[in-house]
Amino acid sequence: MIATLNNHMPLREIVPAAQGRARVSSIGARSFLLEAPGEFDLAAQRRIWALSQTVRGWPDIAEIVPGMTNLLAIFTEAPEDPDTVVARLLEAWGNARSIDLAGKTIEVPVHYGGEHAVDLPALCDLARLSDREVVRIHHEATYRVFALGSAPGFGYLHGLDPRIYMPRKTVPSLKMAKGCVTIGGMQTGVAMLTGPNGWNSIGFAELQMFDPTSPMPAMMAPGDTVRFVPARIEL
Amino acid sequence: MSAIDFSDPATIALLTDALTAAGVSGLEISRPGGQLRIVIETGNETRIDVTTTTQPASVVQPVVLKAPMAGHFCPGRSSRSAAADRLPRSVSAADILGFLRVGPILLPLCAGRAGILTKQLAEPDALVGFGDPLFEIEPQS
Amino acid sequence: MIEIVETGPFNTVQDLGRPGYRDIGVSASGAMDPFAVRIGNILVGNEEGAAGIEVQTFPFSLRFDRRTVFAVTGADGDPILDALELLPWCAYTAEAGQVLQLKHPPTLARAYVCIGGGLDVPSVMGSRSTSLRGSFGGNAGRPLVKGDRIALGKSADIAPVPASGLAVIEPAVALRDVFPDLVDGTLPVRALPGGEHALFPDDGDAFWSQTWKISSRSDRTGYRLSGEPIKPTASIEMRSHGIVPGVIQVPPGGEPIVQMSDANTAGGYPKIAGVIECDLWRLGQARIGSRIRFVRSTHAEARAVEQAVARYVEDVRTTSEMVKRALRAMA
Repeated sequence: MIATLNNHMPLREIVPAAQGRARVSSIGARSFLLEAPGEFDLAAQRRIWALSQTVRGWPDIAEIVPGMTNLLAIFTEAPEDPDTVVARLLEAWGNARSIDLAGKTIEVPVHYGGEHAVDLPALCDLARLSDREVVRIHHEATYRVFALGSAPGFGYLHGLDPRIYMPRKTVPSLKMAKGCVTIGGMQTGVAMLTGPNGWNSIGFAELQMFDPTSPMPAMMAPGDTVRFVPARIEL
Repeated sequence: MSAIDFSDPATIALLTDALTAAGVSGLEISRPGGQLRIVIETGNETRIDVTTTTQPASVVQPVVLKAPMAGHFCPGRSSRSAAADRLPRSVSAADILGFLRVGPILLPLCAGRAGILTKQLAEPDALVGFGDPLFEIEPQS
Repeated sequence: MIEIVETGPFNTVQDLGRPGYRDIGVSASGAMDPFAVRIGNILVGNEEGAAGIEVQTFPFSLRFDRRTVFAVTGADGDPILDALELLPWCAYTAEAGQVLQLKHPPTLARAYVCIGGGLDVPSVMGSRSTSLRGSFGGNAGRPLVKGDRIALGKSADIAPVPASGLAVIEPAVALRDVFPDLVDGTLPVRALPGGEHALFPDDGDAFWSQTWKISSRSDRTGYRLSGEPIKPTASIEMRSHGIVPGVIQVPPGGEPIVQMSDANTAGGYPKIAGVIECDLWRLGQARIGSRIRFVRSTHAEARAVEQAVARYVEDVRTTSEMVKRALRAMA
């Protein structure tokens, strides 16, 4: 499946599209991507959240997709003159003030180690830390949901301790289970679908975080705070 | 027997006279080419009906396929091309002979009976009205 | 009720998709040829977005358990009702017990069976489309298998379909001035330069000038293209961002991927271009192994195509209703 190649693609860093100035490009005729300049950090993401709130209210918007310090705006129809749209987006970005989303706090019980933690030994080797240390560093941090994407309900979590950054695998695991707690570059997250996955698994969470039949299908939302709580440590 | 032409007035007159003379009240003769019916009514004029079919009974009247509504006439089975099919040709009841085009809508014109498609009665792309003749089919059983 | 009598793999219930949830990671899905679904639904008297069956592996057949109006649109080739050959792009009435069969289309990829009343599977997040990756929507979140029985919605049609059928001049013919035909067997697909277009040398010439082949590793998620690999002048890595069907990404191997209906919601490969939305249905009808070429377009051209499509759809809707009413009045 092609989807898997993009799966959880993000975080080997990352050349900002433009230094100093936001950049807008098109995908097809109806979609426009605004990329924030500068660092991949909470400050930039807060402005993206503010921009999202503004653009969502435009009457000619079909859908918006906030990403990692960027925003995809999908319009209801192709504009006659794309420059007008680009100018509107850049102006909205210029006016976007950093906001903090009043998110909820989600506690995710995790079974660290065990049969699903297939990449924990490799992470210990890379980080030159013991498995106990890696687990402690992971669960002691507080994470923010930057954006959702890639799989239904999957939240990109920011706030990983740099000591346990670990690049995506060049050869993905072919069948990683839904629920695996993973590290991809400088981010962490919980796999939402069973399938090929390039992130590194260090544990497992039972918590159901997506229900398509619910009025709010995804448990996580941008701005939420996430804590991983060790339910069991099996090393 | 078959040499007698029952539609010949002279023959009918002869038969009528013979029937009257014999005191018979009427006569009916049906043959493949038609039907002769003579009714002798005393005190009144004799009534004679002759019904003739022009062809032998093995060939029946052609059926005319008419436009079910107004539209542009598009002969041919494919909506993609108006390539004229050769005539005459045999068709089956379910065959689509053409379409009536109304804007982007095509109303299939179904033969409705098996037979020989002998004539196309409207020009391709002509604007036809409700009931206008489009095709002539000689039905075959 | 309809019952699936025979089917290949990966035939699914689809409608016009589930947009609006990409921000929680849910792909829009929906028919690969949404144009065919819209027109088929209008012919059978449904709302444009009613759910039908997307058939992409053949032969496929289903049985009607009651008198049912249906149309087969999209792919070329004649559907068969019992022994009778029918026209594609034409609404008919099937009797209870009749079997509709679709054989392999001569040139195109996907046929759509649209049924009066639509398929009455549960609506999940606003759509009856099957999300294969998420395993929800459609018929229990999975492809159809032999023996599946699917309930039908109530038909709200204003007038019956004429006995000989009600057909339409298909989009590729009616809009041939808007959608250019194949050139030497190669499908022209219009696209706009994407965010990383400038990273490719010579104004992307290697991408725009070559003929690409749709590889066998292609599906509803995306088409992988085979050809002479193209490489950016600088290697860059992107932050993950939202994507939509039509985006043409260039992974490190240099052979582009066009995301299709089940497109992931997020991506990070360089984007050399994006197919204009109104040409996606033609790509959805392009088969594995067929050849395509990208033609540089403009927003203004894309808008003109959109408007032509909207006019045609509206024309089909109003005229089909008028014809049905007129025939009922004259009957």
